[in-house]
Amino acid sequence: MSTASPGIVRLTDVVKDYPLGKVTVHALQRVNLTIEKGEFTVIAGPSGSGKTTLLNLIGCIDVATAGEVTVDGKSTGKLTDKQLTALRLNSIGFIFQSFNLINVLDIKQNVEFPLLLQGGMTKAQRAARVDDVVDKVGLRQFASQRPNELSGGQRQRVAIARALVTRPAIVLADEPTANLDSVTGTQIIDLMRDINHADKTTFIFSTHDDKVMKRADRIVRILDGMLEAAGLSEARASGVIENGGGVHA
Amino acid sequence: MSAALGVLLRMALRNLVVHRVKSGVVGAIMFFGVFLVVSGTAMLDSIRASMEKSITSSLSGNIQVYSSEAEDELALFGSMAMGASDIGEIDAFAPLRELLLGIDGIKAVVPMGIATATVFGGTEIDRVLNDLRVSTQAADAEGTKMRFEQLGQIVGRMRKDVALAATASSDPEKVEDNLASLDRVLAPGFYDELVADPSGTLDWLDNKVAPVAADGRMLYLRNIGTNLDTFPKSFDRFRLVEGEMVPEGQRGILLSKAFYEKQAKNYVARELDKVKKQLDQGKTIAEDKTLSELVARTATQYQRIAFQLSPVDATVVTEKLRAKLGTDGDLATLLQSFLTMDDTNFADRYAWFYAEIAPKIRLYELPVGEEITLRSFTKSGYIRAVNVKVYGSFEFSGLETSDLAGANNLVDMMTFRSLYGKMTDDQLGELAEIKAASGAKAVTRDSVEDDLFGGGGGSLETETTTTTGAGFDEFAGVKLGAAGSAGALDTTRYTTAQMEDGLALTAAVILDNPDDVPAMIETIEAAAAAKGLKVQAVDWQSSSGIVGQIVMVLQVVLYAAIFIIFLVALVIINNTMVMATMERTTEIGTMRAIGAQRPFVIVLFLVETMLLGAIAGGLGAAAGALFITWLNHVGVPAVADALVLLFAGPRLYPVFTASNLLFGMGSILAISALSTLYPSVLAARVPPVVAMQAKE
Repeated sequence: MSTASPGIVRLTDVVKDYPLGKVTVHALQRVNLTIEKGEFTVIAGPSGSGKTTLLNLIGCIDVATAGEVTVDGKSTGKLTDKQLTALRLNSIGFIFQSFNLINVLDIKQNVEFPLLLQGGMTKAQRAARVDDVVDKVGLRQFASQRPNELSGGQRQRVAIARALVTRPAIVLADEPTANLDSVTGTQIIDLMRDINHADKTTFIFSTHDDKVMKRADRIVRILDGMLEAAGLSEARASGVIENGGGVHA
Repeated sequence: MSAALGVLLRMALRNLVVHRVKSGVVGAIMFFGVFLVVSGTAMLDSIRASMEKSITSSLSGNIQVYSSEAEDELALFGSMAMGASDIGEIDAFAPLRELLLGIDGIKAVVPMGIATATVFGGTEIDRVLNDLRVSTQAADAEGTKMRFEQLGQIVGRMRKDVALAATASSDPEKVEDNLASLDRVLAPGFYDELVADPSGTLDWLDNKVAPVAADGRMLYLRNIGTNLDTFPKSFDRFRLVEGEMVPEGQRGILLSKAFYEKQAKNYVARELDKVKKQLDQGKTIAEDKTLSELVARTATQYQRIAFQLSPVDATVVTEKLRAKLGTDGDLATLLQSFLTMDDTNFADRYAWFYAEIAPKIRLYELPVGEEITLRSFTKSGYIRAVNVKVYGSFEFSGLETSDLAGANNLVDMMTFRSLYGKMTDDQLGELAEIKAASGAKAVTRDSVEDDLFGGGGGSLETETTTTTGAGFDEFAGVKLGAAGSAGALDTTRYTTAQMEDGLALTAAVILDNPDDVPAMIETIEAAAAAKGLKVQAVDWQSSSGIVGQIVMVLQVVLYAAIFIIFLVALVIINNTMVMATMERTTEIGTMRAIGAQRPFVIVLFLVETMLLGAIAGGLGAAAGALFITWLNHVGVPAVADALVLLFAGPRLYPVFTASNLLFGMGSILAISALSTLYPSVLAARVPPVVAMQAKE
C-alpha cells in the first residue's frame, strides 16, 4: 500500500450524496480506489449500487461531495468547468450505454467530432486518425453512413472509435453491452480488450453481466455505494479484488 | 477553427432538415418578416422619394426658410390643426434673399406667403341682371329680349320655391313681399317697364328680386403668394393649363386646375364627374347605394343647368333632348329625365352632356380672364378685399388629379400682402394723408382713456394692432356680394424689387444638389444667426405639413407592423428553441461530456437559428425584391386623391435598394440571435452527466 503508484485514477475517501426531496441518498461512501495505467477494469454491482456514480466521478462529469478524485495526475475537485471539460476532451474517452452518437453526422464525422473540438490538427491529419480508428473497430465500409443506419453493435463500435480517436489516457464505458445481445456484447468487450492490449489504453467499464466480468483484468465490486471489500482487510480496503491481475494498494 | 465552424454549419443544416416542421414554422415567420421589411421599406423609400420630387418641384423647394418666432409649424399643404396657423413673418425679404444666394450650392430663392381668401361664385340671377344691364346700355333690343326671357324662367322657378317654402316661414310678411316682387316681374307689361326705364328697373331688380335668390356659393381659395415671374423657372412641375402667365410685375391670380374641377365647376357637371370616377373604379349605380343616391340627387339639381341656358340654347337643348329621350315635355322635365341615369346609359349620357349641354352653360365659376374679388380676414381680424384678374389655370405635372397638390392657387406677392393685411407704400401714403387731413393721431392702449376722455382735441385713431394697415378700408371701390364686380383693379406694373422686397412668410430654397439638405439647413441657420436674421430652415417633409405627416404615419404603421411580426417571431423562435433544447438534452450532454465547452453549445444553437434566418430571410428578401420589381413593372395605382401626391403621379413605380435588403437581412439575423440567446444559454447549462442517463 505504501509503495503504491499514484495510478492513472485515484479516489481517496470519496463520498457522493444526492439530495432526493428531504432525504439524502448516499450514492458513494468513503470510496478509495486506485487504477493503474493500462488496466482493463470492470466495476461490477447490481443496479443502483453506485457503479455509474463512480464512473461519473472518474469521468469528471460529476463532482464528489467529499474526498479527492485524481485523474491523469489532476485533482478534479479544484478544477473549473472549463478545465474539467478540457480534461475530459484530452484525457478521457466515453462509451455510453445508449451509444449517444450525433445522429445528424455520419460515422466519420461522429468520430472526427472530438478532434474538431481539440483543434490544432490539419484536415489530413484528422482524416488519417479517423481512418485509423474506424479501421480498428472494423467499420471502414460504413464510414459515410448515419448512425441510424447501423445496428446496435456497429453503433457501439462507432462510439468506441470516437472514444479512442483523441488517444485518451482512460476510456470509460458505462454498461457498454447493456443494449446489445450477448454475442455482440462479447464481441464489443473483446474489441476493447484487444485495443487495451495493443495500445495499453486504460479501460474502466461498469457492468452487471457475469460473462463480461470474466473478460476483465480486474473486478471492482460495489454494493450500496461501498466497495465490497471495504472494512474487511487492508488489501481489500483499497477496493481491489484479484481476478488474474495483481493486488494494488 | 474553420473546421469547427464547418461542423457547426453541417450540424445546424442537418438539424434544420431533421426538425423540418419546426424549421418550416419558424422559417415561414422569418420569411414573411423579411418580405415585409424589404417590400415595406422599399415602398416607403419610394414614396418618400416620389413625394420629395413632387413636393420640392411643385411648391416647397428643397428647403423652406421661415421665421424662428413662428408659433406654429410651417404647413404648405395645410395642417391638421384647426384655424389659421401663425408661421411668423419675414419683414424684409431682400436681406434674406441676398444672404441665401450668397451661400454656395443655393440655386434660387423664391419668396412665399400663404393667405386664404373667399370668393363668391355668384348666382344665375346676378349674372342675368348683369347681362341685361349690358344689353340695355348697348341698346341691344334682341339681346335684352332674350335675357328678359331668361330672367322670366329664373323668376318663375324662384316663385315656385318661395311659394313652397311659405308655409314653413317665420316671416309671412316678408314672404308676401317677395311673392309680390316676383309676381311683378312675371306680370305682363314688366318688359315694357324695363325698356322704358332700364336703369331704374334694373336697380329695383337688384334690390328687390336678386336678394330673394339663394346666396351665391362662397368658394374658399388657399393662395400661395409668390414671385410669379420666377416661380415657373424654380418649380419645374408647374404647367400653365389655360390662359396666360400674369404679366411681369402685375397683380394677378393663377387658379389651380383642381380648384376649377373640384370647386368652381357647375354643380351638375361636378357630380356627374364624381359618378363617372366611381363607375371607372368598378362600382355600379345599381349596387352601390351611395352612388345611386348621388345620381338621384344630381337629377334634382336640373335647374342649375336650365337657368344657365339662354332662351335660344334652351330651345335647342329641349329639341335635342326630345329627340334623344324620345319623349315630350318641357325643358325641366326633360333635363330631370335625362339626368336620371343608370348603369346602362350613364356613359352615353355623360358624353352627350359634355358634347351638347356643357358648351352652352357657364361650366366653371371664376373663368380665366374674369376679374374676381378675393376677401380675407387679416391677422388682426379685419376683412380685406382685393380685386384681381384670373390670368390662367395651372397644374403640377404628374399631380393633375391630386386634391392636395391642387389645393393651392398662386397670387403675386402684392396681392398676397393685401390679403394678409400689409399695405403697399402707396396705401400707407394715402392713409398718412387721410390722417393728416383729418387731424387723427394714434393713441396707445395705455393712454386711450386720457386721450379719449381727458379733453384732448382733435379726432383720434386707435391702434389695435402692430400690423400696419389696421383701420384701412379696403372695401373702397369693391362691390360686395357679387362676382365679376367692377371694382377698382390695380394695374400698376411693379418692379421685381417691389414685388420681392417687402413682407414674405417663407423663402423657398432650391439647391444645386438636393442631397445636401441636412448640411445646408445647418449652413443656412448658422449664416442667418450670424447676420442676426431670426429664421429657421426646414426640409420639404417638415414644411409640407399634413403631407409630410402622412409619410410619418405610413412610417409608424409600417414599423409597428414590422415590430409586431418580429415580436411574434421572437417569441415563437424562443419557445421553439427552448423546446428543442429540452428535446436535445442527451445530444447536448453527450457533446459536453466528450469535451465541448459551453460557448460551443451556445454557438451551435445560434448558428442553427441564424442559418435558418439567413435561408428563410434570404428567400423573403428575394421575394420582397421580386414583388417590388413586379410592382415597378405594373405600377401601384393611386386609388385615392391623397395618394397621387404621395406617388408623384397616378402610379407609383417603386424600386428597392441594397439598403432595403440589408436592413431586412440584418433585422432577421438580429432577431434570430436575440431569440436564441436564452435557449442557447439554457442548452449550455445542460450538465454532461445527462449523457450517462440516456436510455435507448
